[in-house]
Amino acid sequence: MRTKTIAALFMILAAFMILAMNPALAHFGTILPSDDIVTQEDDKTLEVQVKFIHPMEMHYMEMAKPKQFGVLHDGKKTDLIGTLAAAKGKSPDQDQTFTFWIADYQIRRPGDYTFYVEPTPYWEPAEDLFIVHYTKVCVNAFGLEQGWDQHAELETEIIPFTRPYGLWTGNLFTGQVLLKGNPVPFAEVEVEYLNETPGNINIVLPPADPYVTQVVKADVNGVFSYAMPKTGWWGFSALNEADWTLSRDGQEKGVEIGAVYWVRTRDMK
Amino acid sequence: MKYVNCLLAVLFVVLSATGPALAHKVNLFAYAEGGTIFTESYFPDGRPVAGGKVLVYDSKDNLILEGVTDTEGFFNFEIPKIDDLKIVIDATMGHKNSFTLKKAEVEAGK
Repeated sequence: MRTKTIAALFMILAAFMILAMNPALAHFGTILPSDDIVTQEDDKTLEVQVKFIHPMEMHYMEMAKPKQFGVLHDGKKTDLIGTLAAAKGKSPDQDQTFTFWIADYQIRRPGDYTFYVEPTPYWEPAEDLFIVHYTKVCVNAFGLEQGWDQHAELETEIIPFTRPYGLWTGNLFTGQVLLKGNPVPFAEVEVEYLNETPGNINIVLPPADPYVTQVVKADVNGVFSYAMPKTGWWGFSALNEADWTLSRDGQEKGVEIGAVYWVRTRDMK
Repeated sequence: MKYVNCLLAVLFVVLSATGPALAHKVNLFAYAEGGTIFTESYFPDGRPVAGGKVLVYDSKDNLILEGVTDTEGFFNFEIPKIDDLKIVIDATMGHKNSFTLKKAEVEAGK
């Protein structure tokens, strides 16, 4: 009996170690606003966090100052790069801290605010390529539900087909993957739950690797859907290879460009 | 007793009218700038509330001003008082909402 228990414990431990060492962890560009629906009773100053993480594992990666950070509101893009300040973060099991970015943004008018970021290319030695995740999130203000489906005109981006706020747990999120403004047929979309969601008391421990990152494929028009089973923030990431390269140590390296979109669900109660 | 019932009925109507997320919910947004208070009233999809009645109350709930929205849903007026201002949009039956402009925001927009 005792041997069996020890063996079982050992296997669980081994499973965690394999999980931790697996190089195929999905990286996600991330933008997290302190609120996704601003009403007149709420604080009108949003804190927006910009980071590069493994959402399910809560791991942080070092993030250089983004190339581009701004907000799209009422058809106009506003550059906010100057408002970013560096901060440090880590997961409970990381023994060092990593840089991420924080900005305060004051909501002044009704309507939808789509925050977007274009990070500085991140060198990933394990995959021998650079990673650039064009990431977006939408915040609604004062009951005017207008603007969430507008294009931010990024090299690649997800256009939500589902209004991206006011979502219940279990809702289907549908979006379209665009590359240079054109739909990407059969695009592969990775989906992850943000275990670091504020207020998440039940940290999800995936029973096996395939549970960490969900994978759905888009249809011929680049349209994909996924039903979100838990309250909190969900990231959707469609990856493509850029038709340009970057040089590193005199060698041209490929660039993975990702279109990432974040939405939040709440339990019906 | 009749009086109490009547009060309860009024209370019920007021509470249900200010409750969130009616199917054709109207919204009013207001800000103060350069001595003027600008209001805009709209449905969630962006259509303006045209010809809606706007009522402005001070912090003691006295009606101090009223007006009607134009075809774009706008109704602007000079700052009537440095106070917490509750601005109500009353479109039609059940299409009612309010926005409170805090004293500090009114002051800042003088």
